[in-house]
Amino acid sequence: MMKEDEDHCEGIPLDVSEAVAAVADDLLLENHLITSLSKHKQDCPIRCIFLCEFHHTAGPIITCQVPENFISKELFDSVSVYIITKPELLRSTITVTLIDYKILGCPVRINDKKYARNAFYFNLCFVCDSTSRTVHYEPLVTKLSDYLMALEIENNFLSEGSAPAKLIPLLKQVLEDLNNKGECALIGGPTATHLKVVRVRSDPPLVADHQVPIFLKAVPTREWDLTTQQVAPYIDGFNHVARIAALADVENNLVKACVQNLVYYRVVALVPLFQYSNVYCPTSKLKLLAQDFELQNKCTQYVAKSSRQLPNIRDVFRMYAAMTRGTTIRDLCTRFNPSYLNVNERKLVQFGILEELIKRVNKYPVYMGDNAELQKSFSGASSLDEICCAAGINAQQLEDHLERDHSIILLWK
Amino acid sequence: MEVNPLSIILVKAGSKGDRLLFRYPYHEQENNEPSGTKRKNPYALSVAEDLLQSPLPPISNINKGGLTGISDELLSSLFAVKQELCNQKFELKVNDVRFVGHPTSLKNKSQDESGLLLIHIVFALQALASHSVVKCYHDLSKRLGIVLRHEEHRCAYISEQTFSMVSIHDDSCTGNLQTESVFRKILEKCTLAKNIKQVYDDLCNTGIVNIRINRWIPLSFCLPQKVHQWHLRGKILEPEDIDRCLKALRPYHSLLLLYPVQQLYDFTSLDGSPSLLRMFSQYSPLKSLQTLAIDSDITLSHVFELTAHLVYWAKATVIYPICSTNKYAITPDAPLHLNSTLINKFAEAFPGVDLIKEINDFSLPTSLSQKCNSLYHTSQQSQLVQMIIWMLQHHLLVQLHMYIQYIPTDHGLMYSNADETKNIPAAQTLQNNGILSSRTFSATPSRQSRTHSESDASIISDIFEPRPDSELGSAAMNSSLANVSFSSADEEKQDYQELLLDFPDDERTAIFKIPASNNSEDLNLFARLCRNGYFRGEHHVEEIMYLENLRRSQLLQLLDKFRDVLITYETEDPAIAMFY
Repeated sequence: MMKEDEDHCEGIPLDVSEAVAAVADDLLLENHLITSLSKHKQDCPIRCIFLCEFHHTAGPIITCQVPENFISKELFDSVSVYIITKPELLRSTITVTLIDYKILGCPVRINDKKYARNAFYFNLCFVCDSTSRTVHYEPLVTKLSDYLMALEIENNFLSEGSAPAKLIPLLKQVLEDLNNKGECALIGGPTATHLKVVRVRSDPPLVADHQVPIFLKAVPTREWDLTTQQVAPYIDGFNHVARIAALADVENNLVKACVQNLVYYRVVALVPLFQYSNVYCPTSKLKLLAQDFELQNKCTQYVAKSSRQLPNIRDVFRMYAAMTRGTTIRDLCTRFNPSYLNVNERKLVQFGILEELIKRVNKYPVYMGDNAELQKSFSGASSLDEICCAAGINAQQLEDHLERDHSIILLWK
Repeated sequence: MEVNPLSIILVKAGSKGDRLLFRYPYHEQENNEPSGTKRKNPYALSVAEDLLQSPLPPISNINKGGLTGISDELLSSLFAVKQELCNQKFELKVNDVRFVGHPTSLKNKSQDESGLLLIHIVFALQALASHSVVKCYHDLSKRLGIVLRHEEHRCAYISEQTFSMVSIHDDSCTGNLQTESVFRKILEKCTLAKNIKQVYDDLCNTGIVNIRINRWIPLSFCLPQKVHQWHLRGKILEPEDIDRCLKALRPYHSLLLLYPVQQLYDFTSLDGSPSLLRMFSQYSPLKSLQTLAIDSDITLSHVFELTAHLVYWAKATVIYPICSTNKYAITPDAPLHLNSTLINKFAEAFPGVDLIKEINDFSLPTSLSQKCNSLYHTSQQSQLVQMIIWMLQHHLLVQLHMYIQYIPTDHGLMYSNADETKNIPAAQTLQNNGILSSRTFSATPSRQSRTHSESDASIISDIFEPRPDSELGSAAMNSSLANVSFSSADEEKQDYQELLLDFPDDERTAIFKIPASNNSEDLNLFARLCRNGYFRGEHHVEEIMYLENLRRSQLLQLLDKFRDVLITYETEDPAIAMFY
């Protein structure tokens, strides 16, 4: 970036202050671009991309790098053993962390009689800050090496003398596009390739029958697979997984897999099933609702019974604060009369759960008698919701029944 | 479990080249995977163009919790780093394995004949291991390196150990021994290899390493991500979490040891801090840290440090001291089911009492005083306290605190000015109060700052024009007003309003609708607490009591009187919540 600016200044004779202003403008523009593209902006940017090869006389050398002279020769020499590696590690993704930088690469060898040592070794490396996570760049490094390998096999792209001249614009494009847009398409030439940065997230938990999926953002339905397209219309924040399966006429496990996939992409969140007999309690995050003005607006919009008349934040806060262990939503409704306050109690609970202002208090029945069968079903490991959903019974009926039985203890936690 | 090491590797580099001396575990993992899953479909066409389109499956170097697929020669060439990379952190990721170490240079000023250049103990971890885990392992490798270098310079320990290891390796080449038996032989003969095995086993089992290298230098190390798992099942506690908790530590908190004091005496080593022992001798979970500091005659800050140490090593956790007003509920992920081992453990500690039945009393938040009604004898009460301590040690109970949120109007708070005024710390207010109360001025002029009809503004009223950021005026008036006697109730009410000069208008009107605002004492206390920012959900009732030296009944009465603008709710203390 700075390099480019200097070039500008040299090209057009400008007075110094103007030159500074021009640079500043460019920076401003760049900043503007960054902010406008912020959703694509990577938090762990690539600092440099370089290609190194095993020269038949000089040994491991950097063929070209973007930006230039980013990795010094000394630095490269000290780590070259991890970049041009022994044959055992060919096509492994290798990341070496130095004090300032992380270098990740994927060593490649092409065997051919035409090369000086009957083989051509090269490695395309990304350089990032040493504190950043780079796992998501690994597939890209591999894919880009594959692309270069194909170019090399096709027309000696890398091994002929003029390689850097053609390679530098290519690497520059990759660097800028990946940092700014998170994706890059290399077309032109005999082969094409597409690169996209995909965040690696931890695996989503298994989805249970009694959980309720709810959309976190509006999603164009066309882009999904067939199962998701069939399931998506029934995800309304109130239907639980087993019910969705029945309504959409899709096999239960497929629905679970589909919902799990949506959870992975953060399109969908899982909330507990809404019932008037449910009990919730506030978390320590509830204070944010009183402090965060944006959250307040979002909240009143969300929980309003009709968008024309918004509830006031004090009533909403009071309702959340009144959710204690032992108070069911039914109790809450009789105490506050939410429709009079313009509050939709279902939405209220949903918002609270999604923003983690409140959390569900589950009931776990434990059977204290001797009946082995009952000990198994009421062991305390599964909550009332799970049992109801598995047995297909109404929660209220089961709870009434359990409360009458003195050998059953209901633990709330 | 991603925090366990896959393998520990010892590499040396010297004038005769590099060599992998020892690695543990050395058992070759047999590949028992059914080969059928990998068999290719014989009918599939192999299309040449697909070469680039179908990527190879990612290579894995982990097999059943062990390192695989990288030869010893390669490992040694990777870890015998160049001199430039010596004495600094080494981190290398190959496929899904992350190697962490600290290559330690053994170069001495007086060149010794062994020709040893560096020694490097490398931990192979799963690549998923977090930054903090990597940091801890690096620390361990660094400390091992320092100890080894010291021992080398003291009595050429490394030279001797490497010599015997290398000779066993060399013998194996002539005698055609398998790698596995070579390493077994090394393990039998070399103390350093035994130490490495010990480190591996300790890390995998408990997370606490306690070894003595060369029977001389003790090395203790704690992997917090692992060591806290025995009591926090499956939850990984990061060192940052512990730091955050310790930053939030207050004098009213209390220490809860997770082991009997007797066992902890063994934990403190011979050269352990004597103040730690003194603190143990005065320890009680009913004491706050402040009391503990006074009783054991240690400064409070040192008690905090000792607490931090015990918490980091998973010997203790932080709670609010057990007292009769504490409310407890069951933790959300408490493993309370019929097959839980805790049930038997509880029955051993308290014969004849059932954990499930006992803890069921806390299904609804219950305080000790509610539970200890008159029917309880003192002996039963003490047993109850013991049971609660046991449940807290096993993280089955969470304490609920009452938090207070000040919401005067329907629209919440006016944050444009409320923020600045309320952030001023209590001490400053008091100071200002002290300075200004010595001055005398009449209360009447400032009244007209709101009633604009009175035009005869005096100089003093101009000075005390209510500005959103002037806390001085109102604070000063509080004190001066206390000495003024009033003639009529109406005027009295007017004068009370001076207490709330720094509150925005609509907040003030909301407050004056409350009957209790007619009582100057109540209003005074309310205004003080509100200004000090106690009603923003950041402080629980106990903390306000502690900081403002109030009685519980006083505070609760106030909350009840001003319940129209103060909303209370109960939740856990976020400062110590990660231990629940």
